[in-house]
Amino acid sequence: MDLQYKTIHPVKYLQDHLEQGIRPDGRKFLSFRPVSVNVSSIVQADSSAIFKLGDTSAVCGIKAELATPKADIPDHGYIVPNVELSPLCSPKFRPGPPSEQAQVLSKLIDIVLSNSRALDLKDLCICKNKLVWVLYCDILCLNYNGSVIDACIGAMIAALKTLTLPEINYNSETGVIVTHPENRKAFTVRTLPVSASFAIFEKQLLLVDPSDDEEDMSSTRFSIVMDDEEEICYIHKPGGIPISQNLLCKGLEMTKVRAKSIRSVINAAISTLNVNNIETNSPK
Amino acid sequence: MEVSVGDVVMPGDSLKDIKSTKKEGKNERENVILGPGLRREGDKVYVCKAGILKRRDPAVYYVDSYQKRYIPSRGENVVGIVTQKSGDIYKVDVGASEQATLSYLAFEGATKKNRPDLQVGDVIYAKMLVASKDMEPELVCVDSQGKENELGVLSSDGMVFTCSLSLVRKLLNPECPLFRILGRNQAYELAAGMNGRIWIKARSVQETIAAANAILAAEYTVASEMQKLCARIEKTLLLVT
Amino acid sequence: MVEEDTEIDCVLRPMNCEINLLSRSDGSTMFMQGDTTIVAGINGPMEVKSQKMAYDKLSIEVTYTPLTGPAKVDDRLIETYIRESCESAILVSLHPNTMICINLQEVQDSGGLLACAINASCLALINSGLSMKFTIAAVSCMIEKETGKIIMDPDNTQLKNAKAEFTYAFDSINKDIVCCHSVGRFSQSEFLASVDKCKQVSQFIFDFYREITKKYANTV
Repeated sequence: MDLQYKTIHPVKYLQDHLEQGIRPDGRKFLSFRPVSVNVSSIVQADSSAIFKLGDTSAVCGIKAELATPKADIPDHGYIVPNVELSPLCSPKFRPGPPSEQAQVLSKLIDIVLSNSRALDLKDLCICKNKLVWVLYCDILCLNYNGSVIDACIGAMIAALKTLTLPEINYNSETGVIVTHPENRKAFTVRTLPVSASFAIFEKQLLLVDPSDDEEDMSSTRFSIVMDDEEEICYIHKPGGIPISQNLLCKGLEMTKVRAKSIRSVINAAISTLNVNNIETNSPK
Repeated sequence: MEVSVGDVVMPGDSLKDIKSTKKEGKNERENVILGPGLRREGDKVYVCKAGILKRRDPAVYYVDSYQKRYIPSRGENVVGIVTQKSGDIYKVDVGASEQATLSYLAFEGATKKNRPDLQVGDVIYAKMLVASKDMEPELVCVDSQGKENELGVLSSDGMVFTCSLSLVRKLLNPECPLFRILGRNQAYELAAGMNGRIWIKARSVQETIAAANAILAAEYTVASEMQKLCARIEKTLLLVT
Repeated sequence: MVEEDTEIDCVLRPMNCEINLLSRSDGSTMFMQGDTTIVAGINGPMEVKSQKMAYDKLSIEVTYTPLTGPAKVDDRLIETYIRESCESAILVSLHPNTMICINLQEVQDSGGLLACAINASCLALINSGLSMKFTIAAVSCMIEKETGKIIMDPDNTQLKNAKAEFTYAFDSINKDIVCCHSVGRFSQSEFLASVDKCKQVSQFIFDFYREITKKYANTV
């Protein structure tokens, strides 16, 4: 009965739930979905992470390659985030070239990275004007159930945090590149930007961490990205109904709390990795 | 912002003092009619088009706005072009988002046997019968008595040109003297569609073009200067012919 | 509003606009904010391809063309902002099964491009005579690196010293936030201060819209 009602009257179905003070998936208005993070699960990539936000999940793999730097910024490496929303994650997407939404997501992640200054692109420089690292961050959404930007940013930051780069010896005169794959150095990530998404319904009702159905039926959505020092790196509200400043403030407060908990989950996941490494390395 | 009659209004403004006046000797109140450009939300009336707020007695409010794209509305006379013949209907382009339909039977004296002879490309003058946002617009070329009443096919030796919707409204206003002044010295036939298309036919090609230009120029001319405008055009015409 | 006017007078770069300059579009405008110039044209409501058709509302397609080269991924973001902001302003349920196309051409960019593009689209919408719930006005501002001062509507040279740059769009009824975009890192108090200031300044843009409408309403 529940399913039929949902199919026939999707809007009313949601409204009836909201009137009772509960969301269709059983959460309270201001409760987030549980997060789980798994790092270094893909061995072929230089680093990787899977980030799950309820049933929304995204996997990020980072591949580091060598390249010559751009002429205008000779001592900067570059980072290329790319989000893929395949038909696998939701029937909304069709196979073929990246959808507009995927392109926008990629751009948003690029903006968050440059805003937060989590990375110093100078760290990626091996030899000025000659050789730099390029980090290809491929983020694949596996299951699309709302708040995908949170999952994408989470997966990418967790992957970046565990990234190690091999030592490179470069002879600028002969141009010979010698790689030492055993000698891997950790890459510094200065801060952990964490994103939180919100959906607004009629009468300025705020829902945190919306699912896909909630996002579709909401009047507007916004996302806030915050770093370690509770500085805001990005506020993204593309349109929708106008909202008051108070609502944004409420979102900011919620993000603060949420950012802390997500950071601890990411850090915990990374620390288990270190423990494993010590265990596997010690018998040798 | 609150606005009143005669002001330049913007979308989002709310109307103040809309009053339904009580008529003497009658108990029920006069209904307020909200015309184009106004909408009601709760007990407030909001403007949704930019233009000048106007009021007509007894209590009709509307916004006079500039517009080029036609949005069908019931009862308006439009000039359209037949684009397709299919089954029992013609498809007519009236410049709206969708093509309008026109039944074979919607002509004076038309029966199943006696069909009107319309070709693709013909220009017609028709009345909007059905105009709903969810349905295809439908045209008819007869009035409720089944009479043609000036509607129907327009002859192919005239000329159709497009203009803004506000210009047509301005021209069709009974206070606008343009057609009267223009008709004083030259004979012409004209059909002005509310969809921003005007069909015109005068004695010669030159006169047709001149009259069309006069009409287009009227968009930025106030009523008092129309006399001058027409005089100038007549002068040029006399030189040409 | 009067005392504020004197305080924050002339904080915006001079605005200039010509409306209805494209004869084939249903609504068009060339909008200048300082030297940043955008030409916007709107077509519609018109017939829609079945893929993009929405049975309950007007669908909006935005095409943004940068000054040089084809549209890039960056421009997709601008298009998204404009599409979603305009969708909130237009009464979309009045024209189901149809679409409008908003075409924007960048003419010159000297800072505040997104705000200028949103304002240009809003003016073009006003010109097209499409029914709207409210108008929207976008304001950009920045926080200076050394002083921490908020500078309204900065141009390219000022932006070089920016710690953070914001673009907000407000609605004309309650002056609530329709759209929000930020660049750089900033604190919560800086954010709130900038919203407040932009909200005040947005009134100038709404007044400008009214001025323009008045000018054209009287000539027609």
